[in-house]
Amino acid sequence: MNIDNTASQMRKGVLEFCILSVIKQGEAYPSDIIDKMKAANLNIFEGTLYPLLTRLKNAELLTYRWVESNSGPPRKYFLLTEKGADFYKELEATWNELANAVTALTK
Amino acid sequence: MKQVININFQGRVVPIEVPAYDILKAYIESLSQHFSLEDGKDEIINDIENRIGELFQERIKAGAICITDEDVLAIIKSIGRPEDFDDADSSATTGSTYSAESNTQQQQQSTYTNTSGKRRLFRDENHKLVGGVCSGIANYFDIDIVIVRIVFLVLLFSFGIGFIPYIILWIAVPSSATTVIGSRRKKLYRDNDEKYIAGVCSGIGHYLGINAWIPRVLFLLPLLSFVSRNRFGNFGNFGDFNFFSFSPGALFIYIILWLVLPEAKTTAEKLEMKGEKVDMNTIKASVVEEMKGVKERVQKFGKEVVNVTNESGKKVGAEADSLARKSGRSLGDIIVLLVKGFVYFILAIVGISLIFALFGFGIAAMGVFPMKDFLLTEGWQNLFAWGTLLFFIIAPMIAVITWIIRKLAKMKTGSKMLKLGFSAMWVIGWVSIILLIASLSKDFRHSSNINEQEILLPNPGIKSLEVTTLSPGTRFTRNSWFSMEPFQGTDEDSAIIRNTTVHIVKATNDSFRVTLIRTANGNTRRNADTLASLINFNAEQKDSLLIIDQGINVNKVNKFRNQHVIVTIYVPVGKQIKINDRVNLSSRTNFDGPFTNSWGRDFESIKFENLEDGWNEGEWYTMTKNGLYTKNGNPADSYKRKNVDINSNGIDVRDGNGRLRINRNGITIEDNNDSDGNYRYDNKPMDKFDSIKMNIKKDEKRFKDSLQKAKEKIEKQLEKYENKDESNTFLLKSLPFKNALVLFN
Repeated sequence: MNIDNTASQMRKGVLEFCILSVIKQGEAYPSDIIDKMKAANLNIFEGTLYPLLTRLKNAELLTYRWVESNSGPPRKYFLLTEKGADFYKELEATWNELANAVTALTK
Repeated sequence: MKQVININFQGRVVPIEVPAYDILKAYIESLSQHFSLEDGKDEIINDIENRIGELFQERIKAGAICITDEDVLAIIKSIGRPEDFDDADSSATTGSTYSAESNTQQQQQSTYTNTSGKRRLFRDENHKLVGGVCSGIANYFDIDIVIVRIVFLVLLFSFGIGFIPYIILWIAVPSSATTVIGSRRKKLYRDNDEKYIAGVCSGIGHYLGINAWIPRVLFLLPLLSFVSRNRFGNFGNFGDFNFFSFSPGALFIYIILWLVLPEAKTTAEKLEMKGEKVDMNTIKASVVEEMKGVKERVQKFGKEVVNVTNESGKKVGAEADSLARKSGRSLGDIIVLLVKGFVYFILAIVGISLIFALFGFGIAAMGVFPMKDFLLTEGWQNLFAWGTLLFFIIAPMIAVITWIIRKLAKMKTGSKMLKLGFSAMWVIGWVSIILLIASLSKDFRHSSNINEQEILLPNPGIKSLEVTTLSPGTRFTRNSWFSMEPFQGTDEDSAIIRNTTVHIVKATNDSFRVTLIRTANGNTRRNADTLASLINFNAEQKDSLLIIDQGINVNKVNKFRNQHVIVTIYVPVGKQIKINDRVNLSSRTNFDGPFTNSWGRDFESIKFENLEDGWNEGEWYTMTKNGLYTKNGNPADSYKRKNVDINSNGIDVRDGNGRLRINRNGITIEDNNDSDGNYRYDNKPMDKFDSIKMNIKKDEKRFKDSLQKAKEKIEKQLEKYENKDESNTFLLKSLPFKNALVLFN
């Protein structure tokens, strides 16, 4: 077993959940998402984030809005759809269960 | 000083340096390759480009005049290279499935498929054991990696040749990690900026982080040594025809690298070529990186082999079963599939062996090539030989290697000119070899007249004669691993050919006699005769020694035209003969027992083969009435030795002329010979050799007579003892076969 591999698998599983939870707090610009995650000590490349956002958008969990910017072309701001909000709730429940279980087990 | 261009990037005008632009372009290209399987590929790329554009704008706002390559590299670092975000998003690539297995499959697909959907050969970094060559090949052909590894291992252990293609592929085939353009890994390119010929050495220098002069010297050294060898004529001084010290070897590798390696054209490629600064630590790091876990991987591989052998049977069965069920294929289809696979397998093996045969032939031809001056006449033949070597042997070898590597690595298919050039060279090669063979066979067409020359012996009446040679053997046996009969040793302008045969026959009187026969071939009989008479071969008697030359000298004027010398030694009955082991002629010595057919051949078409084996160099032989015998009484003639059976059934003696049996049924003598008693001598011997023929006939007759006499004697005695009603044992006691008596008792 490779430790890097296992760790990245673990991270992979919760990445979407994290992104959704950041967006849930209010519509977000991708680099803001990165900054927030970085602040929480979860490092992620923009090259990883963009495809994930596109996939979530294609799954109709997210939508986006063009926001005029004072410098250059408009920016894409992402927000949750209703479907996305439901999806988030389910994920949250699963996460809490999982987190409790893991905490209980690793005590 | 760098050129700056303005680009319209996502709706923004960005001033950017040309090298930075190249890197940016390559990076975007690598991204679009990475996301090629993705649904929203264009959108993702667009978003990322947008973000990059934003970052550019920030820099310019902060006061930068233009975007430099440092800026671009920093931005790439923050957004991440495809191999950086591989681990995080590969699961999502598969869409809804999250099982680890399908992950890796999908990942492989994306790694081994480029944008156009064509397969490319990569070294597989994810499943590698040493360099990832085998796993890459296995992926490319969609076969089990274990099979490829076994094939390579077998090649490695059986011939040691698995090693060379592996190394070449390791160097030439890009790794799955390096295909991502803009990656940190180095790539081997030809350096066009610092080139002398094609930039191969300079590129290697960049790759290994060494001065380009080191590879240059390594390529040049063998070339120089070859030149000096030629000038001073010391063939042995730099080792014999060792492939790698032999200049065509280095030249060859250079040309192949030239054809295979891409040239670093764009700045991005040049950066890749130079990579990051290389010092001892990074080399160590990259070696450690490459070799990381080799031990574990090898152990794992061992387990895999065991598992595969255990499971493959089951697996194949199950697969065939599911295949049949899934697609509703009939058993017939599966059989067709299996047969197809088998045919491909056979074809592959045939192809590979053909390639290896070509290579073996080529290397041998290059080794022999320096000897051509002893064989070929100046002018046309020489030209044909060069044509053959260059266009029939070397050019196809280069073409085949290049083709294979290019094909496997899916490089740009060779230009039309290249293909045309190689085809033209191949045609020239064929023409050359045909003309060369035609011209040579013309030169060998006629053979000389047979001329037996008597050697005057100062003292023919001696008791024993020892054949020896003056020249010590060492000089002529230098090319020990590469010996081509009949060439034995070469010098700058002469070569020794070992076309010498020693023939030992019984003399008619009681003095030794030695004769020489010189033969040669030529384009006319007269020329053949001239060449034969020019053979300088010495034989002289000194006391009890007969000193002969070890071989025939040919030089660049009197070339090799199958010159041959036959030394015939007539040994009187009761006298002794020995061939000193210095002469090294045991396989070229034949002798004339009463029943060998050596002299029955027509000398016009004599073949230089071992007519009668069993001659031991350094052993004394005594000539008797019945032929040659060693001191302890063994006949020299193996034919005689092998055909006497004595056992409880009786005595059975066979030889070329007949058979004598003594058993319960009495004594029978069978005569194999035709009525004229000459069945072994199909060809009419030359008149000059009538004396020898007569000898044989006499011997033959004598042997027959002796057999006949023995028969008569035995019959007489049988009659006698039958009359006396004696027992069998008693009868045998008086038989002339004393040896048999012991056994019968």
